[in-house]
Amino acid sequence: MRVGFFLSEALGSLRRNWVMTMAAVITVFISTVILGGVLVLGENLNRGATSLENRVMIEVFIKDETTPQQQQEFQQRVLAMPEVKEVKFVSKDEALRRFQETVGSYVTKNLPTNPLPASFEVFVNDADQVDTVAARFYDDPIVDNTPGTQDGVQYAAKTVRRMLDTIDLVRWGMWAATIVFAVAAVLLISTTVRLSIFARRREVEIMRLVGATNWFIRWPFVIEGFITGLIGAILGALSVYVVNWAVADWLRNSVDYLEAYVYPLWWQGEGWPLGLLPTLAVLGGVLGAVGGMVALRRYLRT
Amino acid sequence: MIVFENVSKTYDLGVVGLQDFTCHVGKGEFVFLVGPSGSGKSTLIKLILKELEPTEGRILVAGRNLGTLTQRKVPLLRRNIGCVFQDFKLLPNKTVYENVAYALEVVGEPRRMIRRKVPEILSLVGLSEKTNSLPHEISGGEQQRVSVARAFVNHPPLLLADEPTGNIDPETAVGIMQLLVRINRTGTTVVVATHDREMVNRMRRRVLQLDAGRLVRDERRGSYDQPTDELGEEA
Repeated sequence: MRVGFFLSEALGSLRRNWVMTMAAVITVFISTVILGGVLVLGENLNRGATSLENRVMIEVFIKDETTPQQQQEFQQRVLAMPEVKEVKFVSKDEALRRFQETVGSYVTKNLPTNPLPASFEVFVNDADQVDTVAARFYDDPIVDNTPGTQDGVQYAAKTVRRMLDTIDLVRWGMWAATIVFAVAAVLLISTTVRLSIFARRREVEIMRLVGATNWFIRWPFVIEGFITGLIGAILGALSVYVVNWAVADWLRNSVDYLEAYVYPLWWQGEGWPLGLLPTLAVLGGVLGAVGGMVALRRYLRT
Repeated sequence: MIVFENVSKTYDLGVVGLQDFTCHVGKGEFVFLVGPSGSGKSTLIKLILKELEPTEGRILVAGRNLGTLTQRKVPLLRRNIGCVFQDFKLLPNKTVYENVAYALEVVGEPRRMIRRKVPEILSLVGLSEKTNSLPHEISGGEQQRVSVARAFVNHPPLLLADEPTGNIDPETAVGIMQLLVRINRTGTTVVVATHDREMVNRMRRRVLQLDAGRLVRDERRGSYDQPTDELGEEA
């Protein structure tokens, strides 16, 4: 294989047909931005939803007079339920500490006794099971109900679930959009490459006449497609990263309870095998190469 | 070098390209292919290059039976055949040097040999001064000489020329023809399809005349027209 020759053929033709090259690079760039943007947005929603789901928690306040033994027995009983993921005990002291954290210690420092009840935080596997699980605690003797009510059991019910449903819907929409845009990107690349090859079909004809084998003709086009795809995808992936990072930064500084997720770059470990953005870039290159091969096919039939 | 045995070629719409054509061209011969447009000259050349498949009959080129030659081997066949066309068929984005070098790159010639052979052949066709020009920067006659250089740089055993002088003025045409004769003297078989009556008459080489796809004359040291032409000039 004459790597040097093929490479210089490919680079030379990229330079000569620079208008077409620009068009192809921009096409890949836009496709990558859309695809990458959808993926980043989708992942953020995913994480948001997961953390919301984690917050679907039932607070069970217990009477002050319960013995530690009773508490332990309750905890084990709840843990045994198949729907329950985790149970945390919040002691009276802990409850007071948390309360002080939110309102400030000057409010509580003169209290003669600690008025806050101890509680259990029950986390369930699935937000849909909240009602069922909560209902089991209403009449438990350990629960600190105001007589005549069931206020010893607290959970954020309907709003949270409606929000989760919406996020679920958006999430599916995101995946659908991802697939549509991926297909669109492939079609755009192959159309662009086909156009540039159509402009050079005479060249291909002459190459065949001189006795060039199909692969000899193909390599420069494949390399050309790869380089085009790679450049477009790298630019696109970088833009996505920068915007993603900037938005996350802005969110962190302005809305303190919301945190956006930024895909780590590959050297930061974690994430996809190579990190999302290098994967996108390589994908762009491979798609470009495949586009080059596919588009050449009809000019290489004997 | 070239053997046609009862070859017929009928195109899709029933158009006859070649009909029951039989002939034999030996090694080192110089042959003119004459006949009006549509008489089958181009069909013949495309069949030799295996750009077309015959409807019937057998074709041998340089000892290869084209009927049993697989598509993958076709490039190897073409490397043994130099081609010159009326429209030159040069790569428009490559310089004179690169166009000739391309034929050598294709066969995997080492870089060192390319650097030696290309200037050699360019000086043979008299284009040493135009090495770095692009095809559109030089005249038609010069472009045709580049095309001859490219066809011959591999020293193929067979050289086909389809109307090589069709697009250039008569004086330049003589130069091209002399080039082909010189190539023929090195032992290369040369087949020239042409309309150029004067040229054929002057050269007195073997003439194959085609009419409506049939071979109507095969004459050693022939002229463009039949000896019994109604004009009676040569009779």
